[in-house]
Parts: sequence; structure tokens; C-alpha cells
Amino acid sequence: MIEVQNLRKDYSVHKRPPGALAALRSVLHRKYETVRAVDDVSFQVAAGERIGLLGSNGAGKTTTLKVLSGLVHATSGAVRVAGHDPRRRERAFLERISLVLGQRQRLLWDLPASETFELHRVVYGISRPDFAATMRELEDLLELGDLSSRPTRELSLGERMKCELAAALVHRPTVLFLDEPTIGLDVGMQLAVRAFVQRYNERHGATVILTSHYMDDVVALCPRVIVLDQGAVAYDGSLEALVRRVRPEKRVVLRLTRAVLPADLAALGMVVRHAPLEVVLDVDPARIQTTLTEALAALPIRDLTVEDPPLEEVMAEIFAGQRDARRKAPS
Amino acid sequence: MPRYLRLFLAQLRISLLVSAQYRVDFLVDGAIEILWTSTALAPLIVVFASRDRIAGWSFGEALIVVGFFTLLQALLEGVLNPSFVAVAEHVRKGTLDYVLLLPADAQFLVSTGRFHVWRSVNVLTAAGIFVVGFRELGRAPTLASAAFGLTLFAVAAILMHSLWTLAMCTVFYAVKADQITDVLSATLDASRWPSSVFRGGTRLVLTFVVPLGLMTTVPARAFLGDEGVLLPCVALLEAVALALIARVVWRRAIARYTSASS
Amino acid sequence: MRLAKNLRAFLRVGTVGALAYRADVIVWLLSTTMPLIMIAFFGAVTRDGAIGRYHEPQIVAYFLATFIIRSLTASWISWQINLDIRDGTLGSRLLLPVHPLVAYAAESIGGMPVRALGSVVIAGIMLALLGPSAVAHDPVIWILWCVSVAAAWLLSLLVSVTIGGLAFFVDSSAKVMDAWLAGLFVFSGYLIPVDLFPPRLRAVVDWLPFRYQIGLPVELMVGAHDRASAVGLVGRQLLFVVVLALVTFAVWRRGVARFAAYGG
Repeated sequence: MIEVQNLRKDYSVHKRPPGALAALRSVLHRKYETVRAVDDVSFQVAAGERIGLLGSNGAGKTTTLKVLSGLVHATSGAVRVAGHDPRRRERAFLERISLVLGQRQRLLWDLPASETFELHRVVYGISRPDFAATMRELEDLLELGDLSSRPTRELSLGERMKCELAAALVHRPTVLFLDEPTIGLDVGMQLAVRAFVQRYNERHGATVILTSHYMDDVVALCPRVIVLDQGAVAYDGSLEALVRRVRPEKRVVLRLTRAVLPADLAALGMVVRHAPLEVVLDVDPARIQTTLTEALAALPIRDLTVEDPPLEEVMAEIFAGQRDARRKAPS
Repeated sequence: MPRYLRLFLAQLRISLLVSAQYRVDFLVDGAIEILWTSTALAPLIVVFASRDRIAGWSFGEALIVVGFFTLLQALLEGVLNPSFVAVAEHVRKGTLDYVLLLPADAQFLVSTGRFHVWRSVNVLTAAGIFVVGFRELGRAPTLASAAFGLTLFAVAAILMHSLWTLAMCTVFYAVKADQITDVLSATLDASRWPSSVFRGGTRLVLTFVVPLGLMTTVPARAFLGDEGVLLPCVALLEAVALALIARVVWRRAIARYTSASS
Repeated sequence: MRLAKNLRAFLRVGTVGALAYRADVIVWLLSTTMPLIMIAFFGAVTRDGAIGRYHEPQIVAYFLATFIIRSLTASWISWQINLDIRDGTLGSRLLLPVHPLVAYAAESIGGMPVRALGSVVIAGIMLALLGPSAVAHDPVIWILWCVSVAAAWLLSLLVSVTIGGLAFFVDSSAKVMDAWLAGLFVFSGYLIPVDLFPPRLRAVVDWLPFRYQIGLPVELMVGAHDRASAVGLVGRQLLFVVVLALVTFAVWRRGVARFAAYGG
């Protein structure tokens, strides 16, 4: 469904050194620097897949999505989405894709969202019966209620996001690009958005590429992730395998009835945190059983959990690893 | 109904609803439009009280030119300049991307982005001016000359739109929208007089380079039955040429935007 | 003295603001094409023969003078005041130890140097093209002219501030300003020299404030009046200034009270 080969995107950025003299000089002669936003990225996405595009700020996630939707022209490389070249902005292509930019609003501000829906109905050439059916489904899945009949400016951020998602889907796209769709939303709304995306994907077989800084979004929605670091692909595969590879240890959280000495913990595993009544350990999965047995025998445990390490830490480690590798490698 | 007509009506409807939201008083705003149009007539009325001709044009004939000027002004201030401001807002807020994602021609969407519907009262004012003008002349236009005049007005509208598109593309190079719309309005102002009011080099420039003369004087003469074939052909050719140039400039501006935006 | 320091601060704001927006001013000057358009029109008219007392050189002089006077006296403060009232920043102005009207006036003065520059250029062109016969020669007239320009500026400011102040009472007074501007264009001498109006209309126009915002300084500048009538007319202009000042303060006193009561 989506094929990206050796995608490269360079931007010419005007860099102005500080100082008044430099400012004056820049009026006459500007110096441009090339910033490589996307660096030789290749991947393939099958129809109906949900993948997460991860990376720190400036890693090239949004740029990649914009190239895939035809908003940005690549410097080099080949891109095909649903059999089209996005750059050509063919009508058939535009009718099949949808891009949601979490921080930018598509809804008309002064009018109810329903007016934006209607405008999209006309632009996309959707028949009224089809439109009514789609709207019924979206209202049901998103629990819009009467939100779409109130002026957009009167809605809260979460309510607006629901209407934004509805507006993005009026034309029943088969490919969804979601750029930080849950940013700024409260937890309840984040859950709602995640549930919605999953249901939409399952019901319609829509291909979803999602970027997010909230790891919970990724864990909930994306069996497969592509990690971008400084514009290049650092990892492409299942999320589980990534976690296991980077941080194979299991995280054991012990809540104690009384304090213990560090010496008592040394043999169990690597101590991440040692608060008076709580201890967090990273333990080699092969040794989980023995470690737990020893801990239960030796320590005054009130409560015990075994979990995967937090994804944020995993990501941080990946990026740190990449940075170190770059620093060590000859440039 | 053809697709783009439906789209035009949908965009118009949105603007009407927004105006209603902001409680735009169509009556009061319409009245103010009529007031402004009469300021264009004041000099003519005062001068024609003491003489018969200005630069070879009689009162009735001059009114026909003012009529076409009023129609063009209704187009500029009612559709084009408000849309200009809308595009500038899109670029500023970064939401032009959403416009470019829609499966319709972006230049069309952007040209019809916003309407100030109350300014369309000037269409009625223009009709009134035509009526008064022909009454002054003591005759009515023939069907042929009416058709000719209105066709040339359509050509003038295309010229106006192309000039506006060229000005609008500057918005991608970060210029303030308000200033450019003021410059456009001021430029159109010079088309309120018959082009023979200007002399020599100025007249040539204002007829062919910034084709104001082609936009009001030529349709007026056609409406009056006084126009030949040469200038209308020039007008048509220039309209086509300018439209093509504007289209190319527009695509270049969008290409620059799509390559440069991040 | 504190008042002087405050005023200096506002002057600086006005100047810095004007410099920061100097591109705006330049664009405004470029888009104030109305005098040029009227020159084209009346130029064509006078080529067929003088109209009133105006031959071509006199009418060109007249409209170049209107350009100068308009750039020196135009005031957009009413829109600024509308914005300030609507988004509540008027509240912060009211907290300052300077009366907001004085502050607006000072900001307007601050923008003068940039505007005056454009006027000087046009005046230079005028003299170069038409020679000194285009303007008045009597030094007394020129003294009266200085008074008249200042009065015209003040009058325009008062009008702008009063109409802006109407926003205390209604949603937006922008339309009132629009209507006033239309009247200004037609009846002030900006589009048509006032002495070209038919006699009965002329009598009405003599007692409307519009002419005293633009027309009178222009007429003095091009030597349309002798000393006696000049003194009389400038006197009438000052009368308008006084009357309007009273109206302005009345509107603002009521308006500010209302603003404070309703919180804007």
C-alpha cells in the first residue's frame, strides 16, 4: 500500500548569527544552510497495517508524513501511496488519504463542525445517502452527541479533536496519517481517540501511520514501529521485539512493609530506585523466577509487580545509543 | 450541476453563515457601500453641472464607465480581497496544508475562500448607474451592445482576477496582507474615469500594462455601441496571457511553499 | 516633571511605533492615490477650459496640497480605540497616570516625523513642477496656515477619538467612521474643491466640520483666500475644534464610567 525508497528531504534554512552587524549584513546577503530532515528512509506498509512512527522532536516524523501526503516534495527517492505518486496530487489519491495534524485545526472556527462536514461532502463529491451513513457511524464511534452543532470556538480541546477526526474521515479515506492526534488531550480523551482509531482500522481496513510522543498511544495501537533518529531509520519492526532488544530486563516493583538495607538488594538485580518502602529493580528475564523466590523469602514484601520497562526509557536509550554511535563514528 | 459551481455555492454559503455569526448588519453595511459609490459620482456630478464633456465623454457615457468600475469594485472588495486575507491567515496559522489536501483546484478554493456578501449591493448600484446613464443619453442599449459589454466585463473580471492572483502570491513570501489589499484597491481606483482622462505614457501604461483601461473603458464603449473589434481582441488576448502567467506564478509559489514548509 | 516624562514616553512609543511600521506608512502613502486620480480627472477637465477659478496648474497644485494635508492630518485612532475597548486593553491604559486621550494624541504626534517626510517630498515636487506661483505668498497667510494645519490635525484626532469612543456604547463604531470618511471625502474639498460646489450646497458645507479637516489648510496653502477671509475661516475652524473637544470629553467621561462599570 505504501512504499518508500531512499527518501531524502533537505531544507534550505537561513541561518543568521547573532548580533546587529550580522543582522544588517543578512539584509543584503543571506547565508543558507542545508538541513537534512529525512535521510535515506525506506520502508513498506501493507494495507490495513497500523504502524507507529517514533522519534524525538526534529527526527523527521512530520516531514515524512507530509511527503507521504504530497504536501512536501522530497529532494530525492521514490514514494508510492495507494498506487499514486503523492507529488502529483491526483484527485483519486487525495480522496483516499487523510492527514490529521494534531496541532493545526481544519475546522471552521466560527461555525459548527457540521458546516465543515458539509463543505467536505461537497468538495469530495459524496452523495447525501453515503454522507448520512458515514456521519452516523462517525457520530457513534466518536460519541459526538451534539458537539458538531455548536460553534467550534465553544468546544473544549478534547471535543474539538473529536470533531477534527470526524472531519478528517468524512470521505472514508483508506489511508490515515495521524500526526500527534492526542497532543494536549486529557487521559480520558486520549483513550477515546485510541479506541476510535483502532475500531476504524478494524472496521474499514484503513492503513494507519501514527506519530506520537505518548508511548501509551503507540503501545495501544501499533504492533509495528519505525523509529526515526535525525531523519534516518533506527529501527523497523515489532514494538515487543524492540523493547526486548533494547531493554530485555523485566522491571520488578516491590512495596515493602519496612525499610531494608541496600546490601539486602544487591544480589537480586540492578536497583533502579530505592525509596524507604518501595524498591524498583531491573531483572534479567531468565532469572525472574529465582529472583522473585529469593525476594519473597528475604524481604518484607507487601506488594509485588512485574512489568516491562517504561517505553519512554526505552526510547531515550535508543536515541542515546544512536547519539553515542554517531559521536564515536568518524564523520 | 457542474462540480465547481457546487463548490462555489458551498463556499458562498459558508461566508454567509460566518457573516450571520458575526451579526454583520447587511442593511447598514450595504448602505455604507452605496454611500462610498456615490463619492465616486460626486466629482462627475459637480463638473457636469457646468459643462457637457470631459475628455470627450458626455455625462451619460461617463456614468457607464463608473458603472463598470462599480461592478469591478464589488468583485474586488466583495470576493477577492476578503479571500486574500483568508489565505494570509492560512499561511500564518499553517493551515494552508489542509486546503492543499482537498481534491479541488487550490487556486479556485483560495479565490473563493471568503465573501463579503454585503458588498454585492454594488451590483444593484451599478445597475442603477447604468439606468441613469442611458436615461441621460436618451436611449437604451441594444441587445447586441449589452451582450458585448457584459462579455467584455467578463474579460475584465478575468484580468482583475489574474492581477489579484499575482499580488496574492506575495503572501508566500511573507508580506502583510492588509497592505497589499489596500494597494490593489488603490490601483483599481484609477479605472473609474474613462481612459482618455489620462494622457500619453500614463494612458498607455494604464490601458495595457496595468490594463485598467481595458477593464472599464472598453466594456463601457462596447455597451454604448461605440467599440470596434481591435481593442476587445487585445483585451481578450491580454486576459488569456495574464491568466496563464498568474497560473504559473501561483504554481511556483505553491511549489515553493510545499518544498519549504516543515 | 512627571507629566512631561510620561508624555515623552508616549512620544517615543509613537515614533518607535511609526518607525517599526514605517513600511506601513510608506504603503499607506502609496495607496493614498486619490489626489493623483483627482489630478488626472481635473487635469482633463481643465484642459478643455478652466473650471471655477482653476486652470490646470492651479488644480494640480490644489491636489498635491490635499495629499500633503491628508498625510499630515489623517487619523486611524478610531479603529485602534475600537480594538482596545473590545479586547479590554483600554483597561490597562486607564491605569496609567496619563489620560488615555493625551496618550493617544502623543502617540499620533510621535508618528508625525515619518509622515511629514513624505509631505516634504511632495511639497518639493510641487514647487519644482509648478514654481512658486502655485502657493500663497503672504507670510501672514502662512502663519495662519500653520495654525490651520495644527487645528486640522487636532480636529481629525478629536473626530477619530469621539467616534472610537462610541465603541463604549455600541458593539463597533467602525461603520460610523466609514460613513464619516465618506462625508469627509465628498465635502471636505478632498475630492472636489469646495468652491466648485453650487452656491446652496456651498453654504451648507461652510458649516460642516469636514472642510476644516482638510479643505481649509489646502485653500490657504494655494492662496485661495485673502487675509480677512482667512482669519475668519481659521477662527471658525478653531470654533469647531472647541465644540468637538467638548463633545469628545463628554463622550469619554460617560464611556469610561460605563467601561469601568461593566468591565469592558
